[in-house]
Amino acid sequence: MSSTALQPPAIRPGASPSPFAPLAGVLLRGARGLAILLAVLVAAEGLIVLFGVKPWYVPRPSLVIGAILATPEPYVQGFLRTLTETLMGFVSGALFGIATGVVFFRAKVLKELIFPIFVVSQTIPVIAFGALVVLWFGNTLIAKAAISFYLTFFPVTVNTLLGLESVDPRQEALLRSFGAGRFQLLRRLQLPAALPQIFVALRLASALSLVGAIVGEWFGDTVGLGVLLLQGMYNENVVAIWAAIAMCALLGTGFYAVVAAAERALVFWGAEQ
Amino acid sequence: MSARFHPSRATQRGILGMVLLVAVWEGVARGFALPAYTLPSVSAILGSIWDHRQVLLAAGAYTFAEAVVGYVLGALIGIVLAVVITLVPMTRNAIVPVATSINSVPVVAWSPLILLWFGIGMPSKFVMVALAVSFTVFVSALAGLDRVDRRSVDLMRSFGAGRLAILFRLRLPTALPLIAAGLRVSTVRAIIVAIVTEMLGAYDGLGWVIYQAVLQVDFVKVWSAIFVASAASLLFFGLVGFAEKRLVFWK
Amino acid sequence: MIPRRTFLSSLAAGAALLSTALTALPAAAADPVPATLRLKWLPQAQFAGFYVAAAKGYYKAEGIDLTINPGGPNILAENLVATGADTFGLSGGLDSVFAARDKGLPVVCVGISHQLTPFVFVVRADGPIKSIQDFKGKKVTTWFTGANHVLKAMLTKQGLDPALVDIQPQQVSVTPFVDGQIDVITATRYNEFYTIKTRMGEEKLRTFVAEDSGVTFPRDTLIVSETTAKEKPELVKGFLRASIKGWKDAFADPKGAVDAVMKVAPTLDRAHQEFMLTEVQKLMTAGKVKEDGLFWIDMDAVKITQQLFLDAKVIAKPVDLDATFNRSFLEAIPLADRRP
Repeated sequence: MSSTALQPPAIRPGASPSPFAPLAGVLLRGARGLAILLAVLVAAEGLIVLFGVKPWYVPRPSLVIGAILATPEPYVQGFLRTLTETLMGFVSGALFGIATGVVFFRAKVLKELIFPIFVVSQTIPVIAFGALVVLWFGNTLIAKAAISFYLTFFPVTVNTLLGLESVDPRQEALLRSFGAGRFQLLRRLQLPAALPQIFVALRLASALSLVGAIVGEWFGDTVGLGVLLLQGMYNENVVAIWAAIAMCALLGTGFYAVVAAAERALVFWGAEQ
Repeated sequence: MSARFHPSRATQRGILGMVLLVAVWEGVARGFALPAYTLPSVSAILGSIWDHRQVLLAAGAYTFAEAVVGYVLGALIGIVLAVVITLVPMTRNAIVPVATSINSVPVVAWSPLILLWFGIGMPSKFVMVALAVSFTVFVSALAGLDRVDRRSVDLMRSFGAGRLAILFRLRLPTALPLIAAGLRVSTVRAIIVAIVTEMLGAYDGLGWVIYQAVLQVDFVKVWSAIFVASAASLLFFGLVGFAEKRLVFWK
Repeated sequence: MIPRRTFLSSLAAGAALLSTALTALPAAAADPVPATLRLKWLPQAQFAGFYVAAAKGYYKAEGIDLTINPGGPNILAENLVATGADTFGLSGGLDSVFAARDKGLPVVCVGISHQLTPFVFVVRADGPIKSIQDFKGKKVTTWFTGANHVLKAMLTKQGLDPALVDIQPQQVSVTPFVDGQIDVITATRYNEFYTIKTRMGEEKLRTFVAEDSGVTFPRDTLIVSETTAKEKPELVKGFLRASIKGWKDAFADPKGAVDAVMKVAPTLDRAHQEFMLTEVQKLMTAGKVKEDGLFWIDMDAVKITQQLFLDAKVIAKPVDLDATFNRSFLEAIPLADRRP
C-alpha cells in the first residue's frame, strides 16, 4: 500500500496507514472476525464430542444455539433490555466523567475536595448498593441505569484528568501567546490531546456499564440477560447459562467494537488537528 | 525524616471534603428522620460497626484473603500474557481476540457458572477475582509495552542487546507506570468482585454478611459491611500504591 | 447556554399547561390502577396462580394493571413493599413477616399461601441417620432465609442443641449431597426434592418433616404496606379475588398453568414445573383451607409460630398480631369463591 501524502502520525504500532478506507477496513475486520468465530465454534463442537466433555462443563455450541433458537424471545428481549440499560449508564457515566474531569482540571480546589470522595465511592461494592438502589427506585430502568452509571463514571474522570494534565505545556504557552482564551484552549488543545486517554477509559467503561446493567438485573427484574443468567443458575440449567453468556459476549463485543471504532475515527482525526 | 506529620494542602482539602460529606449525610438522615432502610445516619452505622466488630473483622479478613489471592493470580496472568505478545508479536492476533472475547462477557456473568463448578467456597472467588483483574492488568501492560519508542529499541539492538535484555531493561521499566496504574485500579475491583460472588453463594465474608443482613432487615448492618468493604478496598489500594512508590521511586 | 431564569420560567409554564390539560380531560372511566406484585423467588410454578390470573386478565377485570416482579437471592419482599417500591408482596413466610415487624417495617399480612411447612430435610436411606437425634455432629446444609429456623426449632423440640450440629449455608446446587459430601440437605417439597429424587431415586432417600416434630411454619405470605391496607382496601380485595380465581384455575388446569409460567421463564424444565405445581397445591389446600378458603390465615398456627420465634430469639418481643395480620380483605370475598 503506497503511503499517501497526508500520513497521520503513528498512534499505535501496527496501526493501519490508510485512514481513507475506514469502512472497508471495518467490513474486512468484521468478516475476518466472523470467519474465525465460525471456525472456533466448529472446532469446539468437534473437540467436545471427541473428548466427551460433559455438558455440565461446556455444552456443544450446537446445543447452546439450539436452546436460543427454541425460545428466542427471552434472549432477544433480554439483549435489547440489557443493551438499553447499558447505553443509558454508559452515556450518563461518560458525560459525567468527562465533565468532572474537566472541572477537576480547572479547579484544583474542587478536585482536592471531591476527588477522594469519588475514590471512596468506587470502593463501595455496587452489588450491596444495588439492594439499596432497588429499594429507592423500584424495579425501573432508572435503577439499573443508575448502577451502570455508578460503575462507569470513575475511570472516565480519572483518565480525562490524566489526559488533560499530560498536555505539553509548551503548546499551551504557544497558543496562549496567540491570545487563546481558556475555553478555546480547552476545546482546541486540551480535550483533543486528552482524547486518546479518555478513550482508554471509554473502552474500559463499555465493559463496566454492561456489568452494572447485569448486576442490576439480579435484583428481581423480569427481562434481561442478567435475569437469564440467574434463572439458569438456580435451575442448574448449564446450557441456558452458556446461552446467556453467549448473548452477553455478543453484546459486550459489539459495544466494545463500536467504542473502538469511534476511537479510531476520532483519535486519528483529532491528532490531525 | 520529619518528626511531625504535616499533611499537604491537598490532603487537608481531601479530608475536609470527606468531613463535609459526613456532616451533610448525618444532617439529612437525622433532620429528615429517615427510616433505617432509606438512609441510616453515619453515627448509627459507626455504632453498628463497633457492635459487630468481631463478625465484620472476620468477614473482612475472609474477603480480603479471597481478593488478594485472586489479585496476585490475575496480575501474573495479565503481565505474562502481555510480555508473551511483546516477545512473540505473532501471538497478538491470537491472544488479544481470545482475551477480548472472554472479557466481552462481563466478569459477573461468569459467576453463576463458576459457582456451579467450584462451589461456594473460596476457590470460586479466587477464580472470579483473577478473571476480573487479569484483563485490566493485561490491557494496561500491553499499552505500556506498546508505548516503547521504536528508536530506543533499535538503539539497544544495535548494541547487541538480546530480546530478553531489551524486555527487562527497556520495555518493562517504560511500561511500569501504566502497569502500576492497572494494578492500582484492579485492587478495588478485586474486593468488589469477591463480594459480588459471595452474595450469590458463600460460607463467610462481607458479601455473606450483607446477604444475611438484608434478610434480617438490618440495613444498618448492611451499611456497616459496606463501610468495612470500602475500608478494605482503600487499604488494599494504599498498600499497592505504597509498594509502587517504592519500586518506581528510582525513576 | 439558556439563561437560568428563562429555563425555570419555561419549565413552570410547561408544568402549568400540562396540569391544565390533564384536568380538562374528561375523567376516563376507571383507568386500571398500576400495581406490582413482588414474588419471593424467580418465576416458577410455585407462583402459577398469579401468572394464570394475569394471563387471563383477572387483574384487569378488577381494575388493576398488575406487573409481576420476580424475587431473587438479594431481595426481600418485605423491604420492597414497606418502601413502596412494590404494592403487593409474596414474601418468605411468617418468619420474615415477624422479623420485618420486629424491625419496624410497616407491612401487613393479608393472606398465607402455604399452610404447611414446605421444607423437608433429606438424608440417604442407607445412611446412619435414622432420627433427628442422629443429626448430632453431622454436616447439615440449609438456607438462612427461613429454613434455618425450621431446622433449629425441630432440633430444639427433639431435645438436641443446634450448636452440636454442623449447620452450613446451602449451595446453589444439590450436587454436594448427591456426591455424598453432605449428610443432610434441606429441600422444598416442590423444588429441590424433585431434583434430588430424579438424580438419586426416591427409594434411596429418607425425609424428615417439621410437622412430625410438632413444628409448623406456614410460608409464602401475601403482604401489603400499612398505607395500602388503610388507603386502598378495594385494591387489596380486588387483588385477592383475582389471585384466588387464578389459583383455582391453575389447580383445575395444571397444564395450562405450567404453560403460563413457561411463557415467562422458558428455560425451566417442564416436568419439574408440573411436579412443583402438584406439590404446591397440596401445601395450599392443607389445614383449614377446605373450609375457610385459599390464603386463609390460621391465627392459632400464627400464635404457635410466634411463640417458637420468641423461644428461638428470632424476634426480640411479641409483635402486634392485630396490626400484622388482617383477614378482613379475605373475609370480604364470599366463602364459596375462596374455597378451592
